[in-house]
Amino acid sequence: MPTPALKITNLRKVYRRGNVAVDDLSLTIQEGDFFGFLGPNGAGKSTTIHCVTGIAEPTSGTIEIFGLDAVKNYREARRLVGLCTQEFNVDPFATGRQIVDWMGGYFGMRAAERKARIDYLMERFELGPHEKKSFRELSGGLKRRVILARALVNDPKLLILDEPTAGVDVELRRILWRYLQEINSDGRTILLTSHYLEEVERLCRDVAIVNKGKIVRQGTKDEIAGAPGGLEEAYLAVTGAQAEHVAGQ
Amino acid sequence: MQDVRKPMGVNWIGLGTIVRREVSRMMRVPIQAFIAPWISALLFIFIFGFVVGGRITTIGGVRYLEFVLPGILMMNIVNAAFLQSSSAIYFSRFIKFVEEILVSPLSYWEMIAGSLSVVVLRASVTGVGILIMGLFFGATHVQSLPLFLFWVVSVSAVFGLLGIIVGLWSKSFEQLNMPVVFFLTPLSMVGGVFNTVAMLPSWLRWLAWSNPFFYFINGIRGAMIGVDETPPGLGAGLTLLLVAVLSVTVWRMYAKGYGLRE
Repeated sequence: MPTPALKITNLRKVYRRGNVAVDDLSLTIQEGDFFGFLGPNGAGKSTTIHCVTGIAEPTSGTIEIFGLDAVKNYREARRLVGLCTQEFNVDPFATGRQIVDWMGGYFGMRAAERKARIDYLMERFELGPHEKKSFRELSGGLKRRVILARALVNDPKLLILDEPTAGVDVELRRILWRYLQEINSDGRTILLTSHYLEEVERLCRDVAIVNKGKIVRQGTKDEIAGAPGGLEEAYLAVTGAQAEHVAGQ
Repeated sequence: MQDVRKPMGVNWIGLGTIVRREVSRMMRVPIQAFIAPWISALLFIFIFGFVVGGRITTIGGVRYLEFVLPGILMMNIVNAAFLQSSSAIYFSRFIKFVEEILVSPLSYWEMIAGSLSVVVLRASVTGVGILIMGLFFGATHVQSLPLFLFWVVSVSAVFGLLGIIVGLWSKSFEQLNMPVVFFLTPLSMVGGVFNTVAMLPSWLRWLAWSNPFFYFINGIRGAMIGVDETPPGLGAGLTLLLVAVLSVTVWRMYAKGYGLRE
């Protein structure tokens, strides 16, 4: 049995004020998978991702990244992960190039290695003409590109994307889709959260739907989206949104 | 492909990157970081050297300006160290880019050492700048350079660590400034910058002896002009003890994710 890229077992996260964000969540993502992680706002998607990447502390449960405990062996585990956050959590006065370069540095990449990688990412995401502008001067789409480049600088084995295309234009969405498909075919594992179901249908092989901190449906995309009504109908049914929608009409 | 099972050694490049990032942030505000304390020290030299100093003959056996300057230098080191670390950590929490560090393969010691290196750098540049001004105006000299460096580095480490604790604890800019207003400025003012213990009424001397600033100021004064009212080694021992206790406290806060993790 190959070691999964990500194995979450009985994860529970309770915030200080007692809010249960994730409740007994278990999930396994095999190496090389393109995994869609869906759910309504506040369902626990970002909290799960934060527990995996070290931004949040799990209350209980275990998380393994390529067999490495994400809490006990956090340094070794984090080397393998790249995170594209939903929020623009960067120093707004730094330039796009600095932001990506610093992240490469934190991951222990040498200067020459960083330069080559950043040059490639700047070109790939068409950031070249903007790389010396401070982050706060960039448009929303360009900011998103910088965040993506930052997540990719260490060429991670497991790439976690938390709503990477929220609020971006069609052009970037297509650049990103192409790039993700390319690195996934090279063997990289991708965990994607998105509110755009067509994006998940186009890219992902496996899907889990989370609601109120629990996984309510999991399977291959073909299984879930293959039923009448497709992925959207399945999503609305398990999240309870359909009943509310119908009742509201 | 990297060997995922291989335990990581010290992430020197990561540690160096924290230093690079913080130096870059510091150099965005050179007036606040360096020019302001240097101008303030220059004014002190003028006031105590030519205005007040002209009316006071000697204190502790030396010219008044000579006596006061090491204390002024130490006050600026304390401020530089505290403001550098507290503002850096609070700003990174406030904007949330501290998450960049949290998701990286950096140990807690590396995170702390990276921040502290910049604290020591800023405090040292501030202190050496004031020393050069003092030497230029003939207001001071250096009795022992190794001791001078010891006091600059160890005291900036103490206040750098305190700054990290306050930066992690603060939930607003108001809270961030509270320790400066209520503790650092008053304690440094009454810590023997402007007077000797002998000048205090006997019933008030315990206040000087129980004030850590008294040891820091006397320590650097001893290194600069050879005047030290504290028993030999006591101040240095106390300072090193503070560095050790505060280092462990900060490490525990990082390990627990206090103020850092959700």
